[in-house]
Amino acid sequence: MRAGAKVAALTEALAPHGAQRSDLATGAMLVLPRGAVLEAAGLAREHGFDLLLDVFAIDWLAYPGHRGPRFSVTYHAHAVAANERCWLRVHLDEDDTLPSVTGVWPAAAFMEREVYDLFGVVFDGHPDLRKLVTPEDLEGHPLRKDYPLGESPTLFNDGRFLDPASFRSGMMGGSRGLTGWVGGARKGVVSAAPEVAAEAAAEATATAGADGAAATKEGAA
Amino acid sequence: MKPERQRHAPQGAGRPVGTPPSEFETRLMRINVGPQHPSTHGVLRLVVDLDGERIARLTPQIGYLHTGFEKTMEHRTYQQCITYSNRMDYAHGFGHDLAYVLAAEELVGSRVPERAQRVRVLLTELNRIASHLLFLGTGILDMGALTLFFYTMREREKILQLFEMVSGVRMNYGYFRVGGLAYDLPEGFEEQTRAFLDEFPAMLQQYADLFAKNDIYLGRTKGVGVIPAETAIANGLTGPSLRASGVPLDQRKAAPYSGYEDYDFEVPTSDAGDAHARFEMRLREFEQSTRICRQALERLEPGPIKDPDRRISLPPRQELETSMEAVIFHFKLVTEGFHPPRGEAYVATESARGELGYHLVSDGGSMPYRVKIRVPSLVNLQSLESTCVGGLFADMVVNIASIDPVMGDVDK
Repeated sequence: MRAGAKVAALTEALAPHGAQRSDLATGAMLVLPRGAVLEAAGLAREHGFDLLLDVFAIDWLAYPGHRGPRFSVTYHAHAVAANERCWLRVHLDEDDTLPSVTGVWPAAAFMEREVYDLFGVVFDGHPDLRKLVTPEDLEGHPLRKDYPLGESPTLFNDGRFLDPASFRSGMMGGSRGLTGWVGGARKGVVSAAPEVAAEAAAEATATAGADGAAATKEGAA
Repeated sequence: MKPERQRHAPQGAGRPVGTPPSEFETRLMRINVGPQHPSTHGVLRLVVDLDGERIARLTPQIGYLHTGFEKTMEHRTYQQCITYSNRMDYAHGFGHDLAYVLAAEELVGSRVPERAQRVRVLLTELNRIASHLLFLGTGILDMGALTLFFYTMREREKILQLFEMVSGVRMNYGYFRVGGLAYDLPEGFEEQTRAFLDEFPAMLQQYADLFAKNDIYLGRTKGVGVIPAETAIANGLTGPSLRASGVPLDQRKAAPYSGYEDYDFEVPTSDAGDAHARFEMRLREFEQSTRICRQALERLEPGPIKDPDRRISLPPRQELETSMEAVIFHFKLVTEGFHPPRGEAYVATESARGELGYHLVSDGGSMPYRVKIRVPSLVNLQSLESTCVGGLFADMVVNIASIDPVMGDVDK
């Protein structure tokens, strides 16, 4: 996608605010200073970028050779009438906040909530800044690069936690685990530990017996 | 008798005895719809504040299907990511596959052969038909018409069988590759697809006979859930729902990819902006997608289906027995994959629900540093509140259906 007249005009209009062009492989991007987000959004809107397609963050923590603020938030806007698109990017550190652009583009409401949820970036002035996709009691921001991945237990606010080893053991039938499942992992696999299987079998007989008794009763009735 | 009558009083049941009816104390009633509700098309939960029969406020609560695809894809090589992309929008999986491979190809600088592009377009459009069939069947089902659902599922089944021929599965295809396709089309696929495309217009007519002039259908959709064009754009609405509001935005025309500029098709629009127009858009897109499929089939010529660049595509099996170089490339690709240069890429595509694109950030490694998926369903869902507020509760079901969210696509 080539940068067109609207993008050129916007670049010029944003230059006094300290914006610099830093194009992507597939489009025009302007990097803004953190203070100029609202002005830039308003100007973009005025220049015809009326359809906000996306707001997303990038955590640069693990990017090789990255210097400067840890996060960046990118606004992806489309000018419907002129058929042009541009990206506006702002860099910010962990404790920095950004003004919400919901006043300029109402579509930003969900997108900013998603960024807040997954990266912990706070948007001042957002009408309803709540988590969007993760459970309410999940602590942390999963898309950050330092969020534990894989084998670490998942901790919840109320003290519950999911320990992968015992969870897996429960799934494979080694223990009752979280699910209480004592069968094999999949068809044809008998992996239940003998004592657990015996326990389950005993339980099953007991239940069947009770059911049988109930059935007889019903039959009699 | 008196308390009995009070209990069954239809209005103002809580008012003190003797107050005139004009001073009813009305309170909003908050009810919870979903997440397990047939009309929510998955696990959409809506907290609705009702003022009588009218909706005063509506808040979608989402995330029930959140699986962290973006995070997972950051830990998979570029080719492995294809396993995940089609699992989001399970109704239009090829659309997601295409959006992903296009962005990855842009990053790595791959050139896709002509035949692979044609096959991609053909499958994506067939999948668009299948997705719209699901939309139509379930959408009309929500209004109480059961029959059409079976008819649309019948045709969808035929398309899924075609996909099964191609990829081995009916969902979650994973058939596209960065640089081309996994393997060539199976024998007999073209004939069967042609046969399907030949009989499909007659089926469309059958559907139209079943519901298009039905009084209940018209009464429940005409003038219901009107979204003006400005509101639609402000709320980020894209896809057929936006085109129903009179904005002719279709990325296949606006920013053609995969050779869409060579196909002859139209972008249907309507100025009504109501639920009826949104249903009509999908119906008319059936015809356009059929047209594109036919053209893709006509232009399908034998040829390579993979980028010949050995750093991107696996070498053919027989080469491994004669060429040391091929073995090395094979080993490198299988063990670590290719390394695109540093940079970012985004390619906008038009999925069955709206603009879909993958924003990939490469740090020079063999896995994407950051994957941001611009999913249409999530953003489109924002239009639901303004569409429903002030309307009847029963119309909410029609509005959900007509905006067509797929919850896998919403939560990713």
